[in-house]
This record gives sequence, structure tokens and C-alpha cells, in this order.
Amino acid sequence: MYPIIRLVNRNLTISINPAFLLWQIIFPVIYIFIAGFAYSSLIQEIPFGPKGLAYPAFLASGMIGFNIMNSTLVSGIIIWNDRKYGMFEQIMSGPFTRSNYILSNICTIGIIGLVSAALIAIIGYPAFFDSIDFSFVTIPLIVFAAVTGSVLFGSIASIIATKLKSSEGFNVILNTAFLFFAFVSTAFYPAEGAPEPLRTAFYLNPLTYLVDVIRAGIFGEITEIVILEMGILTIIASTLFIIATKLLTKLDF
Amino acid sequence: MFCINVDNLSKSYGSVKAVNSITMSVKSGQVFGFLGPNGAGKSTIIKLLTTLIQPSSGSVNILGIDAIKNPLKVRHKIGVVLQQPSYEPTLTVEKSLEKYGMMWNIPKTESKKRTTELLKDFDLIEIRKKRNEDLSIGQRRRVQVAREFMHDMDLLFLDEPTVGLDPSARRKLLDYLKNRVKTGLTIFFTTHILTEAEYLCDEIAIMDKGKILAFDTPNALKNRFGKDKTIKIHLIKNRQEIKPLLSGIPDCKIDFNTGTNITIHSTKSELVLMKILRVLNDNGIDVDDLSAVPTNLEEIFLKMVEENVSDN
Repeated sequence: MYPIIRLVNRNLTISINPAFLLWQIIFPVIYIFIAGFAYSSLIQEIPFGPKGLAYPAFLASGMIGFNIMNSTLVSGIIIWNDRKYGMFEQIMSGPFTRSNYILSNICTIGIIGLVSAALIAIIGYPAFFDSIDFSFVTIPLIVFAAVTGSVLFGSIASIIATKLKSSEGFNVILNTAFLFFAFVSTAFYPAEGAPEPLRTAFYLNPLTYLVDVIRAGIFGEITEIVILEMGILTIIASTLFIIATKLLTKLDF
Repeated sequence: MFCINVDNLSKSYGSVKAVNSITMSVKSGQVFGFLGPNGAGKSTIIKLLTTLIQPSSGSVNILGIDAIKNPLKVRHKIGVVLQQPSYEPTLTVEKSLEKYGMMWNIPKTESKKRTTELLKDFDLIEIRKKRNEDLSIGQRRRVQVAREFMHDMDLLFLDEPTVGLDPSARRKLLDYLKNRVKTGLTIFFTTHILTEAEYLCDEIAIMDKGKILAFDTPNALKNRFGKDKTIKIHLIKNRQEIKPLLSGIPDCKIDFNTGTNITIHSTKSELVLMKILRVLNDNGIDVDDLSAVPTNLEEIFLKMVEENVSDN
């Protein structure tokens, strides 16, 4: 087995536990089927391209992006725990390079992101099945979003994990950042109709682009703006990945 | 044959020289003890030799491989138990051994076999289903050391492996290491527990403030630096006048005196012992116990470190 595969195996073993899996399923289920249908009396239809989307369908597709982002917290937690519990040093004194370690983390969050996206797509299917516009680009778009989103948010979590030493600091900053990403985005509600400064803030948030790409894939609305958003996502993900890699490479023992 | 060759090795952190121009060679198939007080530079040396950090200058050759140019090649052949604890908090003891075997690419059946053996050898069977985060410090340390034997290696670095172990677990570990050395393994062992080094090590280096102060076998070090003997006297009754009575004896240095327990250092212990007996007899002082013991490694170590401090 290649070193990266061995490290991915180890990462998945230590990070996937029943509580994590339960949270990954229960949280979106509550959002989609309770909040989604409860709010549909207030938000009856959301304009989406030439057609309208029912709020549960809009929310379910947003939850895919949200869950991809949430699952990449694992990346930061792995790095932070490895530093705290001495495993980073132990792994680096074994038959692995820093590149192996970094790439294994990316692969881990990529896998978790993809599984997470698939899971929510299955769970959310009843909510958006009558609006779905399945085409040959749907699956590639969702895979692209899952992988790019995982790298992007995984890199953010990794950067925070390399910079902070106290568990309190790590948890507060990571949760605050991810809370901002979650609620100042179009994952839960559309940008249209929001007050102007908030609307601009939505588009300073990479989760908005991620969710837009996923919705475009599921509901068959691939426009020039979506392609531009894919480009922006790729650039941000690559930049953050380079920064995270550099920080991890410089991490002292 | 030497498995570690270090030449003029230095490591600086800003203006602080943690390791200062060290040159040494360690023979294969033995336990090499690296002794020094806290902050002497022992852990920095281990990190340099295990390629975790790069030296500021000098060369390091491990098992015939240039460790600066080919660190990964070196790491494939060595095992490392670092001073700080390292564990996966959520894994059980058994699972963490198996996963570590997997990380070292040990086939599954072999990994299972080794796990069973190590759980037995390190008295971990009863706690094999416990999660690492629920273990005591000593149990965790035992798991950490046991885990390193999941993979094959030619050279094992142990940085204070007995910290947190009770005396029985400590002795068992030292005996286990002795047996492994018989199969051809070389062990580089740091400690500041001198009795451990005396029990386990074939060769010893004493280090302080980034420099090696002495390098030899424990016996040779004792012969070289330990001509002094310690005379220990235990009196039946408290006799505070003992000090002025003994002060007339040449080469009789009183280190410790409570009135009933007296410790004396001397380079001519046999002669001094006879004179002490005469003084005690002449003054009617009853003795409960009297002995002359050779200076142990700990005293040599303390003496060398003290001399190094005063030289500096």
C-alpha cells in the first residue's frame, strides 16, 4: 500500500465515529424536513432561472454544500489532534514525508466530502425530486463541488489548526468562521431580497459559490455565472491549499 | 561496525546552541545510553538523529545512510519513541497497535500476530479494549513503547521511555529491551535515571549543555572517574561530636551528617575506614552499620555535571 493510502486509512479510522456519522445525517434531516417544510408557508417559491424552486428543494440542495463544508472540519481536527497528542511528530519520524501527510489529509476530506454530498443528495431527494433536471453534467458538477469545496474548507480548517495551540482557541475560531460561512451564504436562503450589505457579503463567501454550483448541477441551470463561480472556487481552493501546505511544511517539532 | 556516525554536529536555536559540535560513533547490536540533566540537549540529539530536525552544521550517518540527504531512507529503518506521549485518543489499545502496524505496511495476519504478542509482553491484555484517552500515564507509555515493536527496524531510539512507569513495569521493559538487543537490534536510549543506564547500557555518553562530557562503558567510566568510595556510617545513638572527631583524618570528606547517619567520601577508603574505626572505638561510639561502597554512575554523573557548570 502506498504511504498516502495508509495514512488515509488511518485518518478515516480515527475521524469517523458513530457520533460524527449520526450528526452528519441528523443535522441535515432536521433542516430539510423540519425547517424546510415549516418555512415553506413563509417562503413559497424561490426564483431560480426561468423556473421557481420550492423552499425544501432549495434548502436540500444548499444542505449538500453546507454538509461538505461541515465535514471538512475533520481536516482541521486531524491536524490539531495530531499536534496535541504527539502523532504528527510520530508520523514524521516514520516512513512518511510531509507531502504524504498533507495529501492524505486532502484525500481524507475529499472522500468525506463526497460521501457527505452523496448522503445528503439521497436524504434530500424526496425534497427536490420534482424539480431535479438530471443531465450528463449533474454528477460531474456535484463531484467537482464536493472535491473543490473539501479542499477549500479543509485548507481553511488546516490553516487554523496550524496556527492555534489552545483547544479553546481552535474550537472558537473554527466554529465562528464556519458559522459565518454557513449563515452569510445562499445555503439556507436566496441572496435576492436580502439587504444590500448582506447580499454583497454573501458573494464574499466561497460557500455561496459552492452551493450555486451544486444547485446548477441538480436543477440544470448551468449559466456563464456558474462557470465563473467554478473558476473563482478553483482559484480560492488552490490558493488556500498552497497556504495550508506551506504552513504545514513549516510546522516545527 | 557502527550504526551511528556523527561528525561535528551542531544545532542552534537563535543564539542558543542546543547541540555543540558533537562527534561520536555508536556500535551496532548494543544499548547505547545517552545521559544528561534536563535541558542538556538529549531530545534535540534524538530529533537530529531521527531526521525530525535538520542540523545547523555537521554530518549524520545512520545505518550507512546520509541522514541529511536521505531522511526518508533512514526513517524506514529506525523506530522512534519520543519523550512526549503520542497516541490516538479515540482508538483502543489493541486497535492502535494494529493501525500502527498498518501504517508501517505490515501484512494484516502478521500485524494481528504481533499485536497479540506485544499485548502479552507489555501486560496490556486487560486494557486492550480501553481507549487510549482513558489510560493512565504509565499505561499509555507502555502502549507507546509496545507500538514501536509492531514494525521491523535495525535501530530504535528511546527518549526517556520509562517516564511514568512503576518500578516493576520499568524493570520488565528494560528486560524486554535487553532481549531484543540479543536479536541484533541496536538501541539508543536517553534517560536521567542512572540506575537504568547502569543496568541496561553497554556504552554511555554523558552530555550537558549541548556537549559530550564523557563517552565509555559504564565500568570504564567508573574506573576513570570513580576512584572515590563512599563510606556510610550509621550510629546507634546521636553523636553530634562525630564531626570534629573525624575532621583530623586526612582525605575524609564528610558529605552528610545527621549525628546518626554520616556519609564520607574518600579516595583512600580502606585506610580511612580503618582510621574511622579507631576513632569510634577510642571514643566509645557504638556503630550499628558501617560500609564502603564504590561510587555509582549517578555520583559520577553529578560530579561531571557540577564540574562542567563550574568550568563554564
